[in-house]
Amino acid sequence: MSDAALLQVRDLTATFWGAGTALRVVNGVSFDIARGEAVGFVGESGSGKSITARAIMRLAPEGSSIAWGGSIRFGGQDLLTLDERAMRDVRGRRIAMVFQDPMASLNPVMTVGAQIDDVLRGHAGLSRRAARRRTIELLDQVGIRQPALRADDHPHQFSGGMRQRVLIAIAMSCQPDLLIADEPTTALDVTVQAQILRLLLRLRRELGMALMLITHDFSVIAGMVERVHVMHAGTIVESGAVDALFAAPRHAYTRALLDAVPRIGTGA
Amino acid sequence: MIRMVVMRLLLMLPILLGVSIVAFVLMRALPGDFAQAAAGTNLISPETLATIRHNLGLDRPVWQQYLQWIAAALHGDLGTSFVTKKPVAGELLPRLAVTAELTAIAGLMALAMGGATGLASARLRGTTDWVVRVLNSVLLAVPNFVIATLIVLLFGLYFPEIGIFNYVPFHTDPAGNLTSMLLPAISLALTVSVTISENTRAAVLEVSSQDYVMVAKAKGLRARTILGNYLLRNALTPVITVTGLQLAALLGGSILIESIFTIPGMGQYLFDSIAARDYPVIQAIVLVAATIVLLVNVLVDIAYARVDARVSYE
Amino acid sequence: MSDAPRRRTRGQALLAAGGVLLAVLLAIVLIGPLLAPYGAAKTSADSLAGPSALHWLGTDSIGRDVLSRLIIGGRITLLISFVAVAIALVAGLILGLVSGYVGGGTDLIIMRLLDVVFAFPVFLLAIAVVASLGPTVRNLIITIAIVYTPALARVVRGPVLSVKRWDHVEAARSVGIGELTIAVRHVLPLVISPVLVQTSLTLSNTIFTVTALSFLGLGPPPPDPNWGSMLAEARQFMELAPLTVIGPAAAIVLASLTFVVLANGLREMLDVAGR
Repeated sequence: MSDAALLQVRDLTATFWGAGTALRVVNGVSFDIARGEAVGFVGESGSGKSITARAIMRLAPEGSSIAWGGSIRFGGQDLLTLDERAMRDVRGRRIAMVFQDPMASLNPVMTVGAQIDDVLRGHAGLSRRAARRRTIELLDQVGIRQPALRADDHPHQFSGGMRQRVLIAIAMSCQPDLLIADEPTTALDVTVQAQILRLLLRLRRELGMALMLITHDFSVIAGMVERVHVMHAGTIVESGAVDALFAAPRHAYTRALLDAVPRIGTGA
Repeated sequence: MIRMVVMRLLLMLPILLGVSIVAFVLMRALPGDFAQAAAGTNLISPETLATIRHNLGLDRPVWQQYLQWIAAALHGDLGTSFVTKKPVAGELLPRLAVTAELTAIAGLMALAMGGATGLASARLRGTTDWVVRVLNSVLLAVPNFVIATLIVLLFGLYFPEIGIFNYVPFHTDPAGNLTSMLLPAISLALTVSVTISENTRAAVLEVSSQDYVMVAKAKGLRARTILGNYLLRNALTPVITVTGLQLAALLGGSILIESIFTIPGMGQYLFDSIAARDYPVIQAIVLVAATIVLLVNVLVDIAYARVDARVSYE
Repeated sequence: MSDAPRRRTRGQALLAAGGVLLAVLLAIVLIGPLLAPYGAAKTSADSLAGPSALHWLGTDSIGRDVLSRLIIGGRITLLISFVAVAIALVAGLILGLVSGYVGGGTDLIIMRLLDVVFAFPVFLLAIAVVASLGPTVRNLIITIAIVYTPALARVVRGPVLSVKRWDHVEAARSVGIGELTIAVRHVLPLVISPVLVQTSLTLSNTIFTVTALSFLGLGPPPPDPNWGSMLAEARQFMELAPLTVIGPAAAIVLASLTFVVLANGLREMLDVAGR
């Protein structure tokens, strides 16, 4: 074996603390992601897939406190033991994340260009000019027309699909090793969904980065990833290559999820 | 955008009309006689009284008197003082400037104090939050004139050598002017800062839970950047709006504070005029004050709607 | 909300504390003259005295007992406040219910009229009215009632507007149940919580306005003492007898605090627009 996995998660647990009680939402999850590999995580809401993603970024939802357990090895370090400063260096630069709701994910009072600029200047230390150039380049890459003009527009001047493109541009800006996409198309129109997925596919190919795609919808996974982990109640219940899983799901839960996908011609 | 501004200004007009009518009616609905009050305490003959009455236009129908008064006011003529016999507008303007200064300083203080405590309360939670909220509740129950009187007592008892009734005009001595405004401004600001504190806390809490703040963290930005560009820039807008709306409370309070600290502002002028039965002045002050408050409220409303356009989505 | 039981106990504690204070205030109003050790006007040669067994809070510049004057003065201050707010409450309820329920042009007119009152700084309007009509107890009550009615009307109107559209109200209406019954049975209960909280806060503000007016000399005319004028009179010799200032100040704060605490307690208990 040449290189070890890019990301190695072992026995990950996540416990919510609130009002004197503890709630374990991720219960011993282990998986690897190799360099440049695309892996899917499928499950219903509450299965723990989003929290798993947040564990890698070490970002608890605002107002809640989570105790992490296990280990997440990335770039020779255990992310769960890093101090906040080192973790900040990883976030946005080596691991980036795209969230679910593009309508709420951009700062309404900053221009779109400024929100890409601040990542570039913060992590890559680019000058204002260089950051600006790169921002326009990125906007162009994600398919925003007239990028130089649009960079000075505010988020409310963009549609949902365009905002998601901007957010992808933000995530790609420092050419991360791993991109985590948590339900990236759930809040978008069906037609736009396909565009965004194609964009992610293209960028991944061009930059050779690893992709962790999280969704509750199996139809999103098809054609996007090589391997899939099915999550339920905080654990991985089944894993395998996408085609194999589709053809012959072993776990009852996986079967239930697959059945939920509407197929043309079956009247479902 | 322009349409929205015009709409709001238009909506303000009926209220402005109502305000002017109230201001007018208040002073003319007196138990005593307006003309008699104009004459003051001098004993005058019925003929002189009739002449005064005619000069003041009191023998005309009420609605005509009102229109005359309003028309004059729109031209900057706010009547003539019974006491000094000079135009009210001339007397009022410099005093209005003093009150404006006091109100502005108090407003800024309230924003600073309330903003800081509200922010601390929202970010630090726990004990800090509890302490701030308890203090706010208690402070809400202490009227500004009580605070002012207690401050005067405090200084009188323990720092008698520091003069606190030493107002000087700004153009005479800027530094002295500002120092003399400090204590009065604090008395005014404390009560108002409670509202600002509560609003800041709510705004910061609300913004903190927004997705774009989480995205900012996921970008690996420094805490300072997130606080400045993402949190405060969004949370402060409603807070500044609320501060603007506190103008009414500040103006009302200035009447009391100016009396206590002997500051020659509009509030003091109002008080003196009431004692002297100088009705044209009282009328003018009520009109001017209410108009200012109304204008500021509309401006604040417009400013907020403009920002809101950026913030609200379908 | 897992926070609910904690809020309930907090609410109960606040209500209990507020209740105790309220009882004290009511005692002052109802049996004040019996509680005061001396009359309000009884002078003595012992002027500007400090606290003693004879005079718990000392005496003022002409030898009157501060504590007695506080109790008697409190009567009038509180009476005016209670009556004025009661009137504002009734007026606000009626206006808010009518405006919200009838809607349309009536709503618009009523709201615009209330906006006119709202546009004035509360205190400025109070001063202007009292100055023009004369500072009698009756005028004070009327002024305060006018000044605080709009806020109460608004608080009532809000829930009325939203309830009007509810399905079960539509259903009741379609079955033929009379409008008045609907108003009382469905709308009123919803309105009660925010109104109670707002009334309590209004009482706190009213005490401020009444005492502020009397501080400026626009309160109930002498010889009746009241907290505001006591505070103003005391300023002349306050370094010599601080209690003459601290006494009324504390009384004003405690009375105001009673209603702030009650309002907070009510908020926690009734889960109104939570914090």
